[in-house]
Amino acid sequence: MNTVSSLLDKEWYERYKRISRLNIRSSIYDVTNQCNLRCRGCFFFSSDEHKAAPEEMDIRKWEAFVDSEKARGVNLAILIGGEPTLYLDRVAAFYKRLPTYCATNGLIKVPRDRFPDMMVGISLWGDEEDEKVLRGKDTFAISSKNYAGDLYTYYLYTITPKQVGRIESIIRRIADAGLKVHLQLLSNDEGVEGFSWTDELLRDIRDEMDIMLDRYPNTVISSKYYHEIITTGQMLGRSFGWNECPSVTEPMDRRKPQPKRLIRFIRWAADLHTMHRCCTSATRDCSICKDGAAHMSWVMVNKRAHLRSAKDLQGWIEVYEMFAKLYRFIPW
Amino acid sequence: MSVKMDQGALIRRIAEIIISELRLEEVTVATFDPELDLVDELGIDSMDLATIALVLQDEYNITIDEDDYPKLRNVRLIAEYIISKK
Repeated sequence: MNTVSSLLDKEWYERYKRISRLNIRSSIYDVTNQCNLRCRGCFFFSSDEHKAAPEEMDIRKWEAFVDSEKARGVNLAILIGGEPTLYLDRVAAFYKRLPTYCATNGLIKVPRDRFPDMMVGISLWGDEEDEKVLRGKDTFAISSKNYAGDLYTYYLYTITPKQVGRIESIIRRIADAGLKVHLQLLSNDEGVEGFSWTDELLRDIRDEMDIMLDRYPNTVISSKYYHEIITTGQMLGRSFGWNECPSVTEPMDRRKPQPKRLIRFIRWAADLHTMHRCCTSATRDCSICKDGAAHMSWVMVNKRAHLRSAKDLQGWIEVYEMFAKLYRFIPW
Repeated sequence: MSVKMDQGALIRRIAEIIISELRLEEVTVATFDPELDLVDELGIDSMDLATIALVLQDEYNITIDEDDYPKLRNVRLIAEYIISKK
């Protein structure tokens, strides 16, 4: 029987022990149904999730709700939307009570006097040209000014197929702004022409992501094993999809057999009662879902399956460390 | 039967449950080290522990509080925990 220490040298074993007891229990919250952008391919609007439930407007109910979430065992609140920064009092209801991550398009700056160390992830969908096509404006020009040098901010760069061969210039601009970047792939929920992946493009972008990680190790928060998983949809000979996804809302999860999954995970709508099926669009074809967090979590919940070899376990450690850094459980 | 004998049997049964529930290979009840750290060495996570706890709760008619999971670091400590609950 392989044990952890039998597979790892001292340095890797210490890295393993640093994360092995973190026991991260996340849930996702739609802070609002509104957004100050309308991006083509945004799962939230393209699948009408903004119409799933009316927003709770009473801030005291938000505060009580977060207290109940904390009592439920949640130790990481992931705020999405709509655009969470449109309702900073709701964001504060989480931040005062729980480790909190706020996804944003970066057009409104999170005031650091109010949220000094809240992790902020700024969405970015490509270079200036792609941003204008998909999002209507070059958000980077604004967000990079708002957050330049911020220690608790990174870009969540959703790479589109049109970006293959061209991502370095964007990563360099992010590095120049003194920020970090995490890479994921567009799922193209609205089927925008020219923005769907092919096997060849996925192979090419995997190579390019690996090169960027080697070339910008202090800027790119990622791992080559993650690149492999996200571009192939394969892990240890298994295929990502509905039967494997760990990020399904627990009370709605009736899959048999039950896969390894995120314990207590729920994605809540903004009425604080309605639950969404999973971390992304319920209308998405799970077999081609490219959601980065879901793929990271897929690796993370399958720890023992990675005890096959030192290489597998080291890959697991790197993915877990990446997640822990992105959500501020361990430093950069 | 002495408490010590009870604990020995309990340890073997817990090892048997862990091997079965986690489908561990290349290990038997006889070779399972009760001092083996379940997280740091065996690599189990909280979902694994919850699975094991459910079986133990049913079998020994006890409640295992999730807040107590960090205490259950190895099979010997689980056995002591169960005895303390009886």
